[in-house]
Amino acid sequence: MTAATTPGAATRLDPQPGEVIDRTDRFAFTWNGVEHHAYRGDTITSALAAAGVRVFSRSFKYSRPRGILTASYLDPGCTVQVDDEPNVRGSHRRIAPGQAVTAQNVWPSLDRDVKMANQAVGRFLTAGFYYKTFIKPQRLWPTYQRVLQRFAAGGTAPDTAPDRLRYDKRYAHPDVLVAGGGPAGMKAAVAAAKHGAKVLLVEEEHELGGHLRYGDTGDLDRLALLRAEVAASDVEVLTDAVVAGRYDGNLFAVVERSAPGLTERLTKVRAGVAIVAAGLIERPYVVEGNDLPGVLLSTAVRRLINLHAVKPGNRAVVLTANPQGDAAIADLQRAGVQVWAEDARAGGDIVRILGRGGVVGVEVGDGRKVPCDLVVTATGWTATTSLLNMAGDRPVYEPRIARFLPSQLPDDVLVTGGLAGDDDLDELLDHARAAGELAAERATEPGSVRGAALPVRPIVDACLPALPLHDHPAMFRGPTHGFVDFSEDVGSKDLAAAVAEGYDSSELAKRYTTATMGPSQGKLETVNAVAAVAEATGITIGQAGTTTWRPPYAPITLGALAGRNFEPVRVSPMQPWHEVHGAAPLVAGAWIRPDHYGDPAAEVRAVRDEVGIIDVTPIGKLDLQGPDVPNLLELLYVNKWQKLDVGRVRYGVMCAEDGVVLDDGVTGRLGPDHYLMSTTSSGAAGIWEWIENWLQTERPGWDVHVTPVTTAYASMNLAGPRSRDVLAPLTDVDLSADAFGYMHVRTGTIAAVEDCVLWRIGFTGELSYELHVPAGYGLHVWETLLAAGADHGIRAFGVEAQRTLRLEKGHLIVGQDTDGLTKAGSAGLGGLVKLDKPNFVGKPELVWQQEVGVTSTLVALQPVDPTEVPPEASQIVVAGRTVGRITSSRRSPTLGRGVCLGQVPPDLAAPGTHVTVRLPDGRDIVAVVQQHLAHVDPEGARLRG
Amino acid sequence: MAGAGRGHGNGATNGRSPRYSAWDLARRGLTGEAWPPAWRKHELRPSYDVVIIGGGVHGLATAHYLAANHGITDVAVLDKGYIGGGGSGRNTAILRSNYLTPEGIAFYDRSLELYRGLAADLNFNVMFSQRGHMTLAHNDASLRTMRWRAEVNKLVGVDSEVIDPDEVAKLVPRMDVSSEARYPILGALWHPPGGIIRHDAVVWGYARGADSRGVQIHQNTEVLGIDVVAGRVTGVQTSRGAVSAPIVVNCTAGWSSLISDMAGVEMPVHTFPLQAAVTEPVQPFLDPVVVSGTLHVYVSQTDRGELVFGASVDPFASYSTRGSLEFIEGLAGHVLQLMPSLHNLRLLRQWAGLCDMTPDYSPIMGPTPVEGFYVDVGWGTYGFKAGPVSGEQMAACIATGATPELIAPFALSRFAAGELVGEKGAAAVGH
Repeated sequence: MTAATTPGAATRLDPQPGEVIDRTDRFAFTWNGVEHHAYRGDTITSALAAAGVRVFSRSFKYSRPRGILTASYLDPGCTVQVDDEPNVRGSHRRIAPGQAVTAQNVWPSLDRDVKMANQAVGRFLTAGFYYKTFIKPQRLWPTYQRVLQRFAAGGTAPDTAPDRLRYDKRYAHPDVLVAGGGPAGMKAAVAAAKHGAKVLLVEEEHELGGHLRYGDTGDLDRLALLRAEVAASDVEVLTDAVVAGRYDGNLFAVVERSAPGLTERLTKVRAGVAIVAAGLIERPYVVEGNDLPGVLLSTAVRRLINLHAVKPGNRAVVLTANPQGDAAIADLQRAGVQVWAEDARAGGDIVRILGRGGVVGVEVGDGRKVPCDLVVTATGWTATTSLLNMAGDRPVYEPRIARFLPSQLPDDVLVTGGLAGDDDLDELLDHARAAGELAAERATEPGSVRGAALPVRPIVDACLPALPLHDHPAMFRGPTHGFVDFSEDVGSKDLAAAVAEGYDSSELAKRYTTATMGPSQGKLETVNAVAAVAEATGITIGQAGTTTWRPPYAPITLGALAGRNFEPVRVSPMQPWHEVHGAAPLVAGAWIRPDHYGDPAAEVRAVRDEVGIIDVTPIGKLDLQGPDVPNLLELLYVNKWQKLDVGRVRYGVMCAEDGVVLDDGVTGRLGPDHYLMSTTSSGAAGIWEWIENWLQTERPGWDVHVTPVTTAYASMNLAGPRSRDVLAPLTDVDLSADAFGYMHVRTGTIAAVEDCVLWRIGFTGELSYELHVPAGYGLHVWETLLAAGADHGIRAFGVEAQRTLRLEKGHLIVGQDTDGLTKAGSAGLGGLVKLDKPNFVGKPELVWQQEVGVTSTLVALQPVDPTEVPPEASQIVVAGRTVGRITSSRRSPTLGRGVCLGQVPPDLAAPGTHVTVRLPDGRDIVAVVQQHLAHVDPEGARLRG
Repeated sequence: MAGAGRGHGNGATNGRSPRYSAWDLARRGLTGEAWPPAWRKHELRPSYDVVIIGGGVHGLATAHYLAANHGITDVAVLDKGYIGGGGSGRNTAILRSNYLTPEGIAFYDRSLELYRGLAADLNFNVMFSQRGHMTLAHNDASLRTMRWRAEVNKLVGVDSEVIDPDEVAKLVPRMDVSSEARYPILGALWHPPGGIIRHDAVVWGYARGADSRGVQIHQNTEVLGIDVVAGRVTGVQTSRGAVSAPIVVNCTAGWSSLISDMAGVEMPVHTFPLQAAVTEPVQPFLDPVVVSGTLHVYVSQTDRGELVFGASVDPFASYSTRGSLEFIEGLAGHVLQLMPSLHNLRLLRQWAGLCDMTPDYSPIMGPTPVEGFYVDVGWGTYGFKAGPVSGEQMAACIATGATPELIAPFALSRFAAGELVGEKGAAAVGH
């Protein structure tokens, strides 16, 4: 027989009046490979406890056996692996048929974990011991580290992703959100609903009722009435759901753990007013042996007996300081457990709890040793102030009741129930009703709090009756030291040692010992930790304060936070054609576009020799209308725009205020007050925002309307010496060189599609027409052009060929041939900048750049060995130091050699200069700076033809 | 064991923290003798030779090196809260030196070198784990930037290389390197010397080192004003009274421009929140630090088993350190795009820190127009990585009165002279 299980010790009680198990539905599951049975409604640990299992985990540091402590979500020693899901809260999760439950991070088994050896040396593993050792020799630290990693807590993350959606999101906009479905929350919700509010009530447990669920028959009767009230109301109820966070604007994250068909669902709740009725958490008592299996909180034994009909032991010692503890004694006695009561209100105490693998006895206050297999403590409460803290409250410690109380809250957050004060059920329910009515009023009155700026006011002004406070003894630590944080294995002695070592504030002691940093994030431990720090530093708990509660209140799966994957993919209307014709996809931001159709070099040659067509739909397009458009262009571009005639197109460069090149593109004037601007594909969204930012914040008086039309048009570029021959028969626009010259724009009909925009520009360096066609006709025009071009040798080309073509032509790409510090002068664009303009964005910096000279400049380079193509980002070096880099490089199909653009310092920029290029493989090659940026047709004859 | 034989084991250290060693750990374990404070408490004196504002890694490292390297021990470090409570305790503790510019690389590489020796240097285990640092490229533009960084790194002797998706999958088996991913992984910049460290330990190690050499650390001591007479700093006003000092150093973050304003020195700094989050622990499965610029996320797994996530700074200036829901939603979505199998890991905690951004994504270090007033600020999202080297160089700067070569590029005067540092190149192109 081992400590971990007690075979044959069947502890299921006869049916209990409030039990939540369905004795007609019994099924099998496994625990560490051994089959057990459960009733529907059992939690993992209640089913196992009924089968005599007492140990569910080994502790993080000392590998001490741990069992049920709270019988709730917070139970620190009951975290288990269920199938491929790690870190399941075994005292909350209801077991399902056939599940495989295993203990986490034990080897070789829960009974005989190798890390138990640490118990023997525990006296050396004091707070922060790892900071003090493994220092030398340094080369051994990685080895030590591997050993330390063996201590990592937690289960095992799955290897594979789910094959179907198991997560979702939902939005809710109730007038009133009630966090906590105990009696106060239920009453407040019903009252708010009766008052006309739309109400969402969220309860972390599997049923409404809070502590009434595991109360006596009187409590159960009250609960039945309350549940009937809720059922008769319009309140929407979520159980097994938790309000995990409160964010600005009264936005709440609600995690639903048992939404139908889903693993988890995140409901985002924008509440008019929130009522926090989260109740109180029973606080463990810090005393030697307080982590042994068999040491339970009074609420835990009440849950086990009354909800799950599990007898938690045979002989109990109960330390009680409040009526809840007294009620636990009554429950235990009714369940046939022998009880030794120590009443703290009458001076009773326990000195230490005895046992190794589990409780065997207790040394009580008068020194007597009482044998037992169960220790129950009812020594006080921790207020669940997390949500209040997230709403801006700084709860204050009230010594009389030995717990924290809210201090001040915004108008859109109210508090009721045990968080607000004590009293009998009737008074609490009166308070909750008043809170519900006040919340409904605030949320639904005209000009209500929703959306308004909210004053912060003291809680006492909150128009609610003040609840009385019942004195409670301040019991944090007993006469001996015990564990404060069960999941991190931190004791009160560790915290005292941390304080003595100078880590003498709650925050420092917490960080040094890692107390409260574990999976329950301090909900169970924080106040005991603060009490230990306060005791060690000789200050009060109120002075020591609490640490900041950060969201989420309860952990949320990454799946629920992510929800369904809504990453849109943008494609052009011609995408079906591309796919049929073997396009290799290129992911370019949100867009998927053809990189090439199998032979990019042949695509380049087709454009140079005959004609090619490329889908350029992702190019950013902005429709600009209004009399102030020229002023806008003049402000944002570095060149001049006032005299652009109707029917003309101009290339423009935008710089940021620091003179750094931001974007480039062409803008054409379609009519007197009507312009079409193009941006880079990657800059489309950013430049729209940039323009709107200037118009809305700096030039609000200007009359300009900006409409992004990127996807309103399908865009394609027909390029090559025979492009005119292909297009001419299909359009009503006169394409003759005299009628439609280089850098002009026309509107007209293409392939019977009206309202097309044609501009004659040439990124590729060839005669070319960029066609913007109403998007719905994009595929039609594309296919018509290809059919018409068949006799001319037309070929579709992709981004790769276009990049090669533009590189041969020496046209830069912003962001590739420039970087985050490249000003216009360093991008070979100095000639474009018109410093005689009165003002434009970036002018002061560019004036300055002109005065001080550039430190780097863009040049064309060709390797001396024509077969070399230095990869992009190869460094240009002088004496082993980097002075520049290759920004673009390709093998030119037109020239049959490697061609590059690069950034070099001014002293290496003169044509004919030989520079050394360090290749990624370590070789050095020589490249020559060219006369022109263009490697092909520097005069531009082909372009203008 | 090392350190045990040097006569420090008897605890007679005049109130200073004794040498830490396995031997002493064992001795105290057996005898129950308590460890004395790692640093001491003091009354605030009316004057010091040097007052350092900010008890984070930068301020404490500066104090430590002033004392250790230059014998300047009449130093007070003032913090308005507890030490390490600002950026030093809120960062994601990632170290690397694979920057873009030779200046940046040299600087951060020195920091990495100091970090490597820090545990022995400070006799405090800072748990530096050199597990490698991987920056993913999801498009050809970022792949090009990775190559750029790798090539510059190689030239200055820093271990960086571009690796392909197969190698990525070998280093991180749970990574989705398939071409079906929404943003397929085309490659990565792999930087083996990078890693993670226990950030609090760095703070405490420096605090203990500084204290043991006579530096006074004053927590809960807020600076309310800086006294300047005739262009010269003369001291500070604090919540615990006035302190005179001929040298005052601003080592704050988040509020650095407000502190400098007290001395009448304007800083080109905008403060943005940076959010982070951590999951529940799971068994170790992720060795390297993984960064994705396209997905705005970085991930590492601590020795304790938690996954630590960070992201880009929030898009608006603010002094708020509250976390937002949309941040963790976006973060989770991006993490699951990288590693879809992590769907049922649970996010445990989120928080935010403040980042002082400068126009060129580089810090501001050294003297200011106010004589005796030094700054070590503008640390953006990279301050923790630079803690040791900043302390070392600032100490040298203060002690010698001359700006060391390593931090000369980061002088405040560069904004007036137009000599910005090129690190923004990587940041602007890398996303």
